[in-house]
Amino acid sequence: MASQSNDNENERYETVQRGQLYTLNYKCYLRDVQTKAIVSPFHDIPLVNQHYTSKTGNTTDVVYNMVVEVPRWTNAKMEINKKLKMNPITQDVKNGKPRFVHNVFPYHGYLWNYGALPQTWEDPNHVDEDTKTTGDNDPLDVCEIGSTLHATGSIVPVKIVGVLGLIDEGETDWKLIGIDVRDKLASQINSIGDVEKHLPGLLDATRSWFKYYKVPTGKPPNKFALNEQYADREFAQCVINETQKYWVNLTDGQAKVDDKDCSIANVTLNNGRTIKKEDGDKIIEGDENYHTEPAKLDSSVHHVAYVPK
Amino acid sequence: MSTTPKATDLNAGSQGVVPTSKASHSNENENTRYETVERGQLHTANYRCYLRDVQTKLIVSPFHDIPLVNEQYSSSTRNQEIKIYNMVVEVPRWTNAKMEINKQLKMNPLVQDIKNGKPRFVHNVFPYHGYLWNYGALPQTWEDPNHIDADTKTIGDNDPLDVCEIGTSLHRTGSIVPVKIVGVLGLIDEGETDWKLIGIDVRDKLASKINDINDVETNLPGLLEATRRWFKYYKVPTGKPPNKFALDEKYGDRAYAKRVINETRTYWEKLASGETKVEEKVCSIANTTLNNHVTMKKDDAEKLVEADENYHKEPAQVDSSVHQLAYVRDEEECATKEKSFKAK
Repeated sequence: MASQSNDNENERYETVQRGQLYTLNYKCYLRDVQTKAIVSPFHDIPLVNQHYTSKTGNTTDVVYNMVVEVPRWTNAKMEINKKLKMNPITQDVKNGKPRFVHNVFPYHGYLWNYGALPQTWEDPNHVDEDTKTTGDNDPLDVCEIGSTLHATGSIVPVKIVGVLGLIDEGETDWKLIGIDVRDKLASQINSIGDVEKHLPGLLDATRSWFKYYKVPTGKPPNKFALNEQYADREFAQCVINETQKYWVNLTDGQAKVDDKDCSIANVTLNNGRTIKKEDGDKIIEGDENYHTEPAKLDSSVHHVAYVPK
Repeated sequence: MSTTPKATDLNAGSQGVVPTSKASHSNENENTRYETVERGQLHTANYRCYLRDVQTKLIVSPFHDIPLVNEQYSSSTRNQEIKIYNMVVEVPRWTNAKMEINKQLKMNPLVQDIKNGKPRFVHNVFPYHGYLWNYGALPQTWEDPNHIDADTKTIGDNDPLDVCEIGTSLHRTGSIVPVKIVGVLGLIDEGETDWKLIGIDVRDKLASKINDINDVETNLPGLLEATRRWFKYYKVPTGKPPNKFALDEKYGDRAYAKRVINETRTYWEKLASGETKVEEKVCSIANTTLNNHVTMKKDDAEKLVEADENYHKEPAQVDSSVHQLAYVRDEEECATKEKSFKAK
């Protein structure tokens, strides 16, 4: 099976690819490099990156593990798949076909490396007091604003410096703003104000991106909580803490969720849904062999959509 | 008032999003009269992309042999005033490798510009990824360095006339695309006249609606502003100051653009005929179709291509620094923003 460690990424995990990229059968699993156990990027990868957090020396400067789903400047909507056991990263499907996000001028695909924090969950049974809407049933999303291009399935140590309160199609969908702690600007970026100072225009562009990215598909512009303003690091910390609690309830079996809507199978939690390493291997073997060449893309993926603002 | 923006800069590196291709191929949806013949390896100094006539297999120069006017598309338009031109695509949208028609080499293949001895890649100036449009040139045009342009007050940059093709398709290096030209921007790049024509592939689904410069803003809102901004700042990450513009930074319309094309076409005619003398090693006027004193035979042109290194299917790996982002802060822009912010 194709397995690769990502050169400059977190060396604890590697990706195991099955099927063919840009088709419905593509799956990108995560695997522990040492034990070779398949792990769930939703439930097994630790939320906190202990190695980098202890390096900071400051106990309030927590460094998190971010699971990269979509590399900057690409269009394929790759996501941690909630339904499949071991939650491989797969391409979202829309109208029976692999989904690609539009290029909304002047942007090319995504503006940042985009992904999620493991061991968090936006509970659809809770109404968020700031957004006034229910959770979107997914892990918490992160926009990694550093300069390096990361690959799908990379695990990147990030510090979180703020958050945007997106309400995507009526559901709570917080967007954390984070930066790879190894980025050369990381030491200078510790707050939302620092982002504007060092990366001028990024915050405005990010808000604009989320507001309009679905308009080419016929949806109205998205709305935001908090008067469209970015919240600071402390607020982001609260969002993380809250969604981590929801995740704990989920894996404890306390949240009322159907197994086929959301699999809580795992290898590290030692609970009612923990499976053995060999069972994880069997799941992968059941998938199609990895195809090194991605499927050809329809030329419409490269088109540019103009949204009057 | 000119200000010096601060740049968080990164060195040029490389990027590998350009699709690989067989040694020669006609581009599926492009002009079927010409095909590309590749030699060497993409993203290295030895890469060459020649143009060849599909029927006769004659190697042609994209500078001197490919006709400026696309007769096939021009004659099919009812309005004879609207000329359709052949555009040679050098840089596909969203890529960074600075591919150019090479003036010095015989038959002027497309090669990657070299800077400090290395293949040159243009920076990603946030929020843009590489180039904003398919970028290239009009054949049989030339910005004469011996002339001072009346509007820019600077000399020509010694290159064919540049085109930004604003349609939605992604074109490949070496494609020949039929374009209508709807306007022009008067860039003064590092002190030299460097007009940027605004054109659109006539086969684009919006082409029939875009006939003059105002139609661009109507149908593709924000593109003209972004284009001007792109050219203003694209070299700032390398340490250069922001570029300046003629015509008060405004776009010239279609009629104005036509005059620029006609003028640079005249300069080219003089160059190709030998009337304007330029050293062969500065600018080769070798060709296979003009029947003049430097016209080459088909076999001799082929020998040139054969002498180059064999085509290497896999592009060279690109340094990760090519994928990095540069942020350019324009003090003037910020001052305006701050003012409006404070007013709230």
